[in-house]
Amino acid sequence: MKKVLGLALGILTAIGGFVDIGDLVTNGVVGSRFGFGLAWSTLLGVVGICLFANMSGRVAAVSGRATFELIRERLGARVGLLNLVASFLINLMTLTAEIGGVALALMLASSVNYLLWVPVAALALWLVIWRVKFTVLENVTGLLGLCLIVFAVALFLLGPDWGEVVKQAVSPHLSQTESPATYWYYAVALFGAAMTPYEVFFFSSGAVEEKWSLKDLSQSRMNVLVGFPLGGLLSLAIAGCAAVFLMPKGIEVSSLSQLVLPVAAAGGKLAVAFVLVGLFAATFGAGLETTLSSGYTLAQFFGWSWGKFRSPARAARFHVSMMICLLVGIAVLMTGIDPVMVTEMSVVFSAAALPLTYFPILVVANDPDYMGQYVNSRLVNIAGQIFLVIVVAASLAAIPLMIITGAGK
Amino acid sequence: MSARNESSIHEHRPLIFDATLTLLDRQVLDRNDEPVCTVDDLELSGDLHDGVEFPVGGPRPRITAILAGPVLVTRVFGGRPPRHLWERIDWGDVERVGVMVKLRLAAEALNVGWTESWLRERIITRIPGGRHESE
Repeated sequence: MKKVLGLALGILTAIGGFVDIGDLVTNGVVGSRFGFGLAWSTLLGVVGICLFANMSGRVAAVSGRATFELIRERLGARVGLLNLVASFLINLMTLTAEIGGVALALMLASSVNYLLWVPVAALALWLVIWRVKFTVLENVTGLLGLCLIVFAVALFLLGPDWGEVVKQAVSPHLSQTESPATYWYYAVALFGAAMTPYEVFFFSSGAVEEKWSLKDLSQSRMNVLVGFPLGGLLSLAIAGCAAVFLMPKGIEVSSLSQLVLPVAAAGGKLAVAFVLVGLFAATFGAGLETTLSSGYTLAQFFGWSWGKFRSPARAARFHVSMMICLLVGIAVLMTGIDPVMVTEMSVVFSAAALPLTYFPILVVANDPDYMGQYVNSRLVNIAGQIFLVIVVAASLAAIPLMIITGAGK
Repeated sequence: MSARNESSIHEHRPLIFDATLTLLDRQVLDRNDEPVCTVDDLELSGDLHDGVEFPVGGPRPRITAILAGPVLVTRVFGGRPPRHLWERIDWGDVERVGVMVKLRLAAEALNVGWTESWLRERIITRIPGGRHESE
């Protein structure tokens, strides 16, 4: 019974933890502009993150090593450092976007300007990281994030013509106002949002935090293989609500509040309450994950002691670096830069940086020195290599497409 | 755990490994398995400059210390940090070389971890809850 509960908890947190500000914004924008025409990109990203999260979890459980330690060992100091700089800065951008997301969610709930919420949100993130146990913070935000299921409920209440939805998803065609370049730009953005590298840093470091052994592997596989696809469905529901409700009205999502409109129309006040809790939990949870990831990447590269399982005094550099990252996030947001824009940028740059994370994982997962008999099976390797090709293609296309389309405008 | 190439370095038979491949950039753990640093560079006996070959037939170079900290910068960008900035761990303090490098000493006994202890004393332990495990 305890096992079943553990499994259910793991799956539920994986669903709730899947969606972050990047998924929320990108799916909302895409739904309101392209309808269901880009659903394939989210689905592709979900398959990719399942494959690589699972791989990095297995590496962490077998070798006891988290992703960035291995990146350094495999790529050496020079290439490793380049990788660290890129990954760390992009993660910092994502962290900034998540703090902004928490602040925007609080603004929706309170009508107090988000700029006032930014320091509060960052302080709350820090307090939780400083004091709350890893499993608790993961489970609570994950479970509360499940409130976002209200998007799926709203989609059903809005009652789209499902035949038309499938037709749009299977054979996408562009509306008069959209160009093929913007279509592909958002395809890459959705893919990047689903496969954001911090998810892998966090996942593999979390496996070390929770001291996974081989025995825990089957459970983690279930969490990933069931939880992430369901989380992906949640993403699709967000896009779907925007497609059914906002697209016919000609509203293009450019703020978090527009994302809530379809839910309010379909489900009234109660649904809005759920959405607000869900938005807060999803962005707050992702804020914790990205803050921790910034500490994880630095500490693992430089060989510092790290982890929530140690008291802060036993991981001083780890904790100080996270404080600095949160302060940087506050400072950036306080310039008045639009958090939604930061989010869109972070998603595209994440897409550009994907191979930096995923290539070394694939290499190490095949190294018998680390993995012994648990190296990748042939099937996983074939899938991994196919995905590596897709990931590299997305990464090469990301920045040029951003420039050509003027960031999707 | 793969223990295939875990080996004690103080066994009698000589241990042959490629130092660039299996030693550089590895995680260093102290006696209590706490992470200390990474192997940023190695100090060899017979202090040779970059680009100078070891003399054929001369005494073989030995690893005398693990270097960490500032040498990482110079390893990436070239040059050498001045000797007084070296953060060394004496090779004699190394217990085992495997996927990670294990030391015989506790981290506190090494000067390599000075930034860690400095930040701990100046910042972390001055914030309430800094010494406590999470709850």
